[in-house]
Amino acid sequence: MIINGVEIRDSFAEAFPMVGTRLIITADTPDWAMTAARVTTGFATSVIGCGCEAGVERVIAPEDTPDGRPGVAILIFAMDFKGLKTVVPLRLGQCILTCPTTACYAGVEGGKRVPLAKTIRYFADGYQISKKFAGADGRAERFWRLPVMDGEFVCDEDTGSVEGVGGGNILILARSRPQALYAAEQAVKAMSAVEGVILPFPGGVVRSGSKVGSKYKALFASSNDAYCPTLRGVAASALPDEVGSVMEIVIDGVSFDAVAAATKVGIEAVCAVGGAGGVVAIDAGNYGGNLGPFHFKLRDIMGGGA
Amino acid sequence: MSMVLRLKTPLAARLDLGGLTPSALAGKAPGEVEAIERPHGGRLVALGELFAVRAGGEGRLVIEAGDARLDGVGAGLDAGEIVVEGAVGAHAGRGMAGGLLRIAGDAGDELAAGMTGGRIELGGNAGARLGAAPSGARRGMAGGVVVIRGNAGARAGERQRGGLILVEGAVGAEAATDMIAGTLAVAGGFGAGAGRGMKRGTLIVRAVPALAEGFADTGTHDLVALRLMARRVPDLAALIGTAVRARRLVGDRLQGGLGEVLVL
Repeated sequence: MIINGVEIRDSFAEAFPMVGTRLIITADTPDWAMTAARVTTGFATSVIGCGCEAGVERVIAPEDTPDGRPGVAILIFAMDFKGLKTVVPLRLGQCILTCPTTACYAGVEGGKRVPLAKTIRYFADGYQISKKFAGADGRAERFWRLPVMDGEFVCDEDTGSVEGVGGGNILILARSRPQALYAAEQAVKAMSAVEGVILPFPGGVVRSGSKVGSKYKALFASSNDAYCPTLRGVAASALPDEVGSVMEIVIDGVSFDAVAAATKVGIEAVCAVGGAGGVVAIDAGNYGGNLGPFHFKLRDIMGGGA
Repeated sequence: MSMVLRLKTPLAARLDLGGLTPSALAGKAPGEVEAIERPHGGRLVALGELFAVRAGGEGRLVIEAGDARLDGVGAGLDAGEIVVEGAVGAHAGRGMAGGLLRIAGDAGDELAAGMTGGRIELGGNAGARLGAAPSGARRGMAGGVVVIRGNAGARAGERQRGGLILVEGAVGAEAATDMIAGTLAVAGGFGAGAGRGMKRGTLIVRAVPALAEGFADTGTHDLVALRLMARRVPDLAALIGTAVRARRLVGDRLQGGLGEVLVL
């Protein structure tokens, strides 16, 4: 399958179940809301080393946030619910509570409850205020007000969770590093508009894609040598001679469909750059299909079949 | 099946309708409802002596033409809807846990006492001890919503420990006495001595009320919670409006309390 001079390889991304949640962060200005969102989702590229994967999902207009101020939605994913319950209050307490003017609200209604102010309210040392009201749907919701030095920090008691998908990905194979990076940037721009997904790596792009295992016993993962252009001819390579650089985009989402939708618009954006822009092929990372239950077949997603 | 009860003549003595809810009447025919005996004055009287009973809409109990001697209307309501097209007496909605109680006229004392859930809408005025602790109980209303279109009497919210009471008119003296938690929002004014012994809880008002001694004035603040409540709690939207700042008084400090009065 070739689109605009770009080969869509007969491959698939192999993804895993993750448990995730969404937080709505608001602040007095869009910049401070985004600052809190960026800091809260920092050091969260891979569960391998960070304990979670997190990112900014979207900006929310003031009229659509719970308190009418500018907002940002973030998604946080962990390998299991216990992990999620651990990382969310930590990041809330260190990155949102501390950030000037912010408030934090539940962004998911259903699923198991992830504690928010339920945990960090004790920071207020007894001066915390609980308010519980029946919402428009009749369901009682509790939020907390914590006195802080710039006024009050308002935060929902808890948030819901979803069983999502982590590790969707595409690999962009290009002639040169600038061309691979440019195509990746275009893909990130398009994929960021898809609701329900995050691209947890720096700027949405990972240049150090990994394979499972290592020659060193202590490591779970190591460099994806088959896609390292400087190892062509040394290790078994997946790269034709004309490929000089590879960039990967990893996708975590609240559902299979969300990840599939992001994969599709990402591939479309890369193909728009096309062979003329130096893109040779689009591939995907997998482990033979035996480890992850979610398979995103590139050609199926692009409507070309296998 | 639910029922429509039409009072045949004004009551000569008090009548306790506590427990007469759509759930309790489910599956009963009008004749069976007429045979239910309730305390009336000093004796038990079959409802059929006092009311004309007919079948009505599903999950509803309608009382046509209320009476200030109809006590306990909606007491124990857990689901469904009770509509009173006039006034009721004391203890309406006592211990209510769910459902909707709509009263077109006035209500007597202890409306919503001990209520834990559901919603009460009162078209007229409420008597004393709105949302307070029922006689013999230590704690008042713990949940649910009460909206009063008129005024409320003395000691509204006494020992209230949760839920929301909105009074569009004024409330009488000594409101929120010993309030434990919850919210009492009043669009009109408060009588004297509000908030004595307040432990926690929130009073939302438009002007500084005549509070009991023991409130500390923390000044006027930009409170994000106002913006949140105005959007998340439809019943408070009109009162809070676009206000983002409120003067915050905290008490009753004489008793170590951390209740608050938010003056919009």
